[in-house]
Amino acid sequence: MSNPLVQLTAVSLEIKGRRILDGVSLTAHAGEIVSLLGPNGAGKSTLLKTIAGLLPQATGTLHVHEHDPRTTSPATLAAQRVYAPQNPQSTWDYRLSDLPILLHPRIASIDWFAHFQLAGLMSKKFSELSGGEQKAAHLAFSLSSLGDPYQKIILWDEPTNGLDLSRQHLVRTTLTQLAQAGACVLVATHDLTLAYATTQTAVLEEGRLIAYGRPQATLTPEIIQSTWGIDLSLLASK
Amino acid sequence: MNRPFLIYGLSGLCLGGLILLALSLGVAGFGWGDHHTLLILRAPRVVAALAAGLALGVGGGAQQGLFRNPLADPGLTGVFGGALAGIAVLLTFQSEIAWRQTSVLPLAAFGGALLASVALVILGNNKSPGRLLLTGLGINAFTAAIVIVLATLSPTSRELLTNGAYGDWLGLAAFRFTWLPCTLCVIASLCLFRFGTAWDYLSFGPEVAQTLGINLLRTQRWSILLTALAAAAATCLVGQIAFIGLLAPHLARTLIGPRHRLMLPLAGILGATLLLAADTAGRTLWTSTPLSAAGVMALIGAPLFIWIARQHHV
Repeated sequence: MSNPLVQLTAVSLEIKGRRILDGVSLTAHAGEIVSLLGPNGAGKSTLLKTIAGLLPQATGTLHVHEHDPRTTSPATLAAQRVYAPQNPQSTWDYRLSDLPILLHPRIASIDWFAHFQLAGLMSKKFSELSGGEQKAAHLAFSLSSLGDPYQKIILWDEPTNGLDLSRQHLVRTTLTQLAQAGACVLVATHDLTLAYATTQTAVLEEGRLIAYGRPQATLTPEIIQSTWGIDLSLLASK
Repeated sequence: MNRPFLIYGLSGLCLGGLILLALSLGVAGFGWGDHHTLLILRAPRVVAALAAGLALGVGGGAQQGLFRNPLADPGLTGVFGGALAGIAVLLTFQSEIAWRQTSVLPLAAFGGALLASVALVILGNNKSPGRLLLTGLGINAFTAAIVIVLATLSPTSRELLTNGAYGDWLGLAAFRFTWLPCTLCVIASLCLFRFGTAWDYLSFGPEVAQTLGINLLRTQRWSILLTALAAAAATCLVGQIAFIGLLAPHLARTLIGPRHRLMLPLAGILGATLLLAADTAGRTLWTSTPLSAAGVMALIGAPLFIWIARQHHV
């Protein structure tokens, strides 16, 4: 098997005395899609940001593309991975047609804006779009900055959040296409449909990785009961 | 027709016409006047207004881009106040050097502006947009107090400092003193253009900007250094003047869109136009009692400021 693109060993992080990540070890290769699941505050977003290189105070061993993201320059990292936050924002009211220009001279082989059903909205400003359309625009912006997805790392925080069913489906198929093109994808999500479309599922609880493997094998009634406190047998009997 | 090209062409024409008008208008009425009036009295004043207006427009747009705040303006966030306080300290304690060495005044202004900017970042940044403006308000009041105290202490520079606080220094412009601040205005503005893409990426939040390859710390340091330089150089020429740094970028964004590489040069042209128009109107409309450029600017700018604040729901 090829070298892993993401390799974490005993990664921990404390912010203001609170332990957000607690000894997380995780490996992901090109062609894999890893979904990070867990209750609110379990550390999913923090783990994504740590891999993205946004939290240099994290401890443990981190290898992303054979670099340590805590000490590598932003420009080097930018050529290897993209990150899209949970609640994207924009201070200035750009038109969608501005976004590809902002990324110049990066060249995307695919028109990701058209891919996310935004082709007819390119002359609109952010403020004229719905929340879901804005989210889709940020995802398209993120992928446009990536270039060729081969051997790249995609870090998306709740990509299906706020999207309609059609665009949710689009996100799932897009992630599969990206993985097939040689990318390594990590998504934090509460969306179980999305989790079942991934190749690996990591369940986090209070900063610890409590289960990791194929989603069908990981999301067992026992794990769901212990992590979220939901008894699936009760739900089924109703 | 290419819209940006058209807008740049039109605003350039406006500015050109205004320069001709400003050069030919004076106390004596319309006309070029003699050699002395044109080259010694009017030309330095017009050049100073253009350079300061450029630095104000670009500096305001830069500060808004860096702080991701449409209401940031070196006049409101206390950076001009810091520059004037720096000048006041110099004039009070080392006034003889200030008059012998033309480079000392911009240096003192730069020191004051930089101190005020650093205080602004440490005390007011990265929280809410309101907190930045409130901190700026506090710094502004504090630097104004320093200027008042120093002006009271030194009778010799009192009138000069009071005029500076009213933004009334353009009338003193002479190439012998203004060549250095004018040059610094242009250099700071040109350097600031380089950071356009970084501020565009910052619009999507510091985290996205960093993952797109922006070195946040370096961008922040250089932006603050260069906006302080622009503000200091402009203060040496005009004194305290608010609202141009706010209005010029806002108008530019409305006309041409928010992309900084496209918007900032236009903000510079519009800033130069606004300041030259305000100064020319102030000195020619009521020739018996000329108004300062800052006074005219505040008369127009303050209502527009309230309008912008309402638009952005701050």
